[in-house]
Amino acid sequence: MVDRGAKQFVLCDPKDNVVTALSPMKMGSVIDLSNGKKVEVKEEIPFAHKIALRRIPKGGGVVKYGERIGRATRVIQPGELVHIHNVTGERGKGRKK
Amino acid sequence: MKFNGYRRPDGRIGIRNHVIILPSVACSVEVGNAIAQKVKGVIAISHPHGCAELPFDAEQTLRTLAGVGKNPNVAAVLVVGLGCEVVDAPLVASKISESGKPVKSLVIQDVGGSPKTVREGVKIIKEMLAYASRLKKERVGLDSLILGVECGGSDACSGLSANPALGVTSDLFIEEGGTIILSETTESIGAEHILARRAVNKEVREKILEIVRRTEMRALNLGLDIGKANPAPGNYEGGITTLEEKSLGCVMKGGGGKVMEVLEYAEAPTKKGLVLMDTPGHDAESVTGLIAGGTQIIAFTTGRGNPMGSAVAPVIKIATNSFMYSRMKDNMDIDAGEIITGKRSIEEMGERIFKEVLKVANGKLTKNEILGHREFAINRLGPSF
Repeated sequence: MVDRGAKQFVLCDPKDNVVTALSPMKMGSVIDLSNGKKVEVKEEIPFAHKIALRRIPKGGGVVKYGERIGRATRVIQPGELVHIHNVTGERGKGRKK
Repeated sequence: MKFNGYRRPDGRIGIRNHVIILPSVACSVEVGNAIAQKVKGVIAISHPHGCAELPFDAEQTLRTLAGVGKNPNVAAVLVVGLGCEVVDAPLVASKISESGKPVKSLVIQDVGGSPKTVREGVKIIKEMLAYASRLKKERVGLDSLILGVECGGSDACSGLSANPALGVTSDLFIEEGGTIILSETTESIGAEHILARRAVNKEVREKILEIVRRTEMRALNLGLDIGKANPAPGNYEGGITTLEEKSLGCVMKGGGGKVMEVLEYAEAPTKKGLVLMDTPGHDAESVTGLIAGGTQIIAFTTGRGNPMGSAVAPVIKIATNSFMYSRMKDNMDIDAGEIITGKRSIEEMGERIFKEVLKVANGKLTKNEILGHREFAINRLGPSF
């Protein structure tokens, strides 16, 4: 854990483009990173869910723990919830119709 | 660091002193249960396997049953079979007898039906309980302990609190000469490169990559998405988005040590330190594989709240968040959610879990032991025929 702003969120690794909310976060609250960067939260974030720090293009990698955990299935804007509605994993995906 | 345990005839150390009834096949389970109802203090194990299995499954079922019987937490074993099954009860008993502990088998068709077998079984179990009660504990080192590290009902806190804390515990445990088994191959998919980097040699490195590839290929060959089975619905609800994310959190439980060996399901380790076992993410199957490999104690992290125990080993339940801990306190031993709220650091929590492991090794009962949770499930590879 490299950054845990007032216990509101945690940034696991400097390479990450998401943080995890350590308590539910309201729309309009601000993620205040120790490097001076600020990101406004765009929607309600449930406990332990992820928030984008940067714009992630469709197909772009979602990075947590410094590792790629999946790819964006649509453009994700900074401050948006990052979860199964806009991210898919890339492993163990058989493709039978 | 020392604790008190039971030295078995094969030199392995038990932290519990159970007498168990082990059915070789689904058909003999109820006879085992009937015996256990008539005697106090025996554990009757239940499972639906042992017959109509192809050789690879029959071999795995036999290895698992024999391994559970050999587990040093077990003082004595009665194997109950039917007589016509694939997994032969006298064979299970003879494998267990390699450990030198008292073991007997009863075959229902040979004894002449279930009431007679129950009567015979009660006689045998009474003697075994008397034997076990005479055994004394002795002072031994942590190098005689195997700690299985498991997670079940994970949430997005698992990889932030309980799992990294348990990783600290694992490192401390290995420093004291102990062995850690990390399992759940499905939950290494996407994190296997981290484990492979820490392999002690090329052979172990290739075996790590091989068990992960083989697990992933099982789904790909079926044309199915593992994500429909694992992560489970509650994992997604708890904030885990992909299997890779779950895996990266999962492998933290083993700490940062070198991977010394990779075991097949239910196989006993031959090395000390951090060892991997190829098990599925299914918790009861994974924990059963661990105890069949000789694991005496399990540390189990959970975010959604899993009350599971194990047939012959205490399972320490570690909550990943304080919300679930306070809701399910009856089932939880430790609240690692204190990491999320900032009350304790990951290192402090790792030490706290380590101390709890020692207490439980010394005889302190875990919540699921007190509640009588005795889950048992053998991993199956193919269908029944």
